[in-house]
Amino acid sequence: MENIYLPHLATITDVYEETPDVKSFRLVFQDEKLRDTFEFKTGQFALYSAFGLGESTFCIASSPTRRGYVQFTFRRVGRVTGGLFDLSIGDTMGFRGPYGNWFPLDEWKGKNVVFVAGGIGLPPVRSVIWNCLDRREDFGDITIVYGARRVADLVYKNELEHWGDRKDVNLVQTVDPGGQTPDWKGKVGFVPAVLEETAPSAKNTVAVVCGPPIMIKFTLQALEKLGFSTDDVYTTLENKMKCGVGKCGRCNVGDVYVCKEGPVYTATEIKRMYNDF
Amino acid sequence: MTDKLLKRENLDKLIGSVTVGGGVFVAPGMEARRVVFREVTRADEMTHDYIIPVNSYKDWVFPQTEVIARFAIKKDGVDLKGEKIEPPETVVFGARPCEAASLASLRSVFTWDFIDEFYTRREDRLTVLTVACTAADDECFCTTVELSPESTVGSDVYLKETADGDYLASAITDKGTAFMEKYSTLFEGASAEAKPKELFIPEKIDGIDLDRIKKWLDNKDHYDDPLWAELSRKCFGCGACTFSCPTCHCFDITDEGTTYEGEKRKNWDACQFEHFTLHASGHNPRDAQFKRWRNRFMCKFNIYPKKFTSTGCVGCGRCIRVCPVRHDITEVMEAISGR
Repeated sequence: MENIYLPHLATITDVYEETPDVKSFRLVFQDEKLRDTFEFKTGQFALYSAFGLGESTFCIASSPTRRGYVQFTFRRVGRVTGGLFDLSIGDTMGFRGPYGNWFPLDEWKGKNVVFVAGGIGLPPVRSVIWNCLDRREDFGDITIVYGARRVADLVYKNELEHWGDRKDVNLVQTVDPGGQTPDWKGKVGFVPAVLEETAPSAKNTVAVVCGPPIMIKFTLQALEKLGFSTDDVYTTLENKMKCGVGKCGRCNVGDVYVCKEGPVYTATEIKRMYNDF
Repeated sequence: MTDKLLKRENLDKLIGSVTVGGGVFVAPGMEARRVVFREVTRADEMTHDYIIPVNSYKDWVFPQTEVIARFAIKKDGVDLKGEKIEPPETVVFGARPCEAASLASLRSVFTWDFIDEFYTRREDRLTVLTVACTAADDECFCTTVELSPESTVGSDVYLKETADGDYLASAITDKGTAFMEKYSTLFEGASAEAKPKELFIPEKIDGIDLDRIKKWLDNKDHYDDPLWAELSRKCFGCGACTFSCPTCHCFDITDEGTTYEGEKRKNWDACQFEHFTLHASGHNPRDAQFKRWRNRFMCKFNIYPKKFTSTGCVGCGRCIRVCPVRHDITEVMEAISGR
């Protein structure tokens, strides 16, 4: 009998402490065959189990160009994430997925890409960033605008440093006013304002946006001001999900099931949705 | 199609024949002075005097709680086993034509792309014997949602009561034909004297127009109409409507047990609960009761018809009967039809 709710078992092979309450895990499937055959696309999500506590939904934060493992990032908030937070290298957890649609990278060939992320919104975007960087010749300019409330809340600090060092990436980091430390070298200001100031050209460019609802709202306005068409602006909706496969009935925005028809949408599609956010 | 006669005195034999082989026979019976669908083993546990049982028989295809996997946490890892189900033959006797129409709706959700075999395996083993209505109460509104006591959709065998309390049976589906053949000794040739009682067809609620409702809901600007808050002000989100509704399908997946072993379960959940859509961040897209109620209405009259081309509401009236504040869905249907 096929059981669509049965997770794969996976071993935690690496733990990265991103911030005091955010961690990333690297997972390797225990089923050796699955390690070779497992495929996903950038933007897809999965359900992760801490056995005995339950499942939570996160986007896959690693890039499909890196085979053999998946990586995800989470903040300790409740029961499941609290349980996950306590796991360490060598422990077993559950993985169910990949589910949902993806960012259409093949359609973006030859275009510039602007990434705009806030706080814990960077993990879903990280998969897209690495996917683009791993096939760097397919894309034009790559700009990353990333911000968090405080310096301590910026995730992937090592990778930010790496992206900052690369000549083929324009990385702009910012923290909210008051969130800077004495040695902070980035900008101080809210992400949408810093994006406007950075002013990437909208010509032949797509934008990928992820972050808290309020940031998304003002970032979409900023992109509009910069001349971006809503068709070229992509985001991923992070609604609460339990099944991931269109049955449990809670991720819908009006008549749209985010788990099946999303989570990746253009800003044009978002505008067409019911006010159910 | 020729009708066969199922004598009331033979119901006991029918129940016995189904249950002796390990089958399950579900029928209306009295519990706490209310008529409910429940498993019976003898005909005298059944009642025949009812409009519609309080609960839906969806419980036998989509149980309130069910194990989907079992796990044990060991020193060197986790043992995980997916649950396999082999459901017994299950017969529902005394379904009403309205509710019979609901299984197709549940199936459309549970087989949409990904197939939930916990549902399909049970439904494949379920035979629905519908008894057409000879009475209705004030809450029945099947004719308002384009069904009627004469609708046979979803029934495997359609029964009409005779004046003697027997049943004229006609097979509607292959499953129904197979059922009547399997228990053919109990389905006799019907004589010309066996006349069915007259069916009671409830009056259609005049002011309700399903097409208008769907179209009004199609306009997303109407999502912000003050009507939603006005009409659902008295709802306090107990969720009783969803649990008694034959088409409500929402569930939660939880881990239950001790720290070292337990099971993953699918449990009924309800879009009327605040935590249902609550994000980890504290943000809740449906942070007010009217938004949750709006979602339920939208699901029935727009999402189901549009996405699953099936009916989201069969007019059984259960949600009205169980509601502690008498929040009547037909009032909202009427108000929206008038827009």
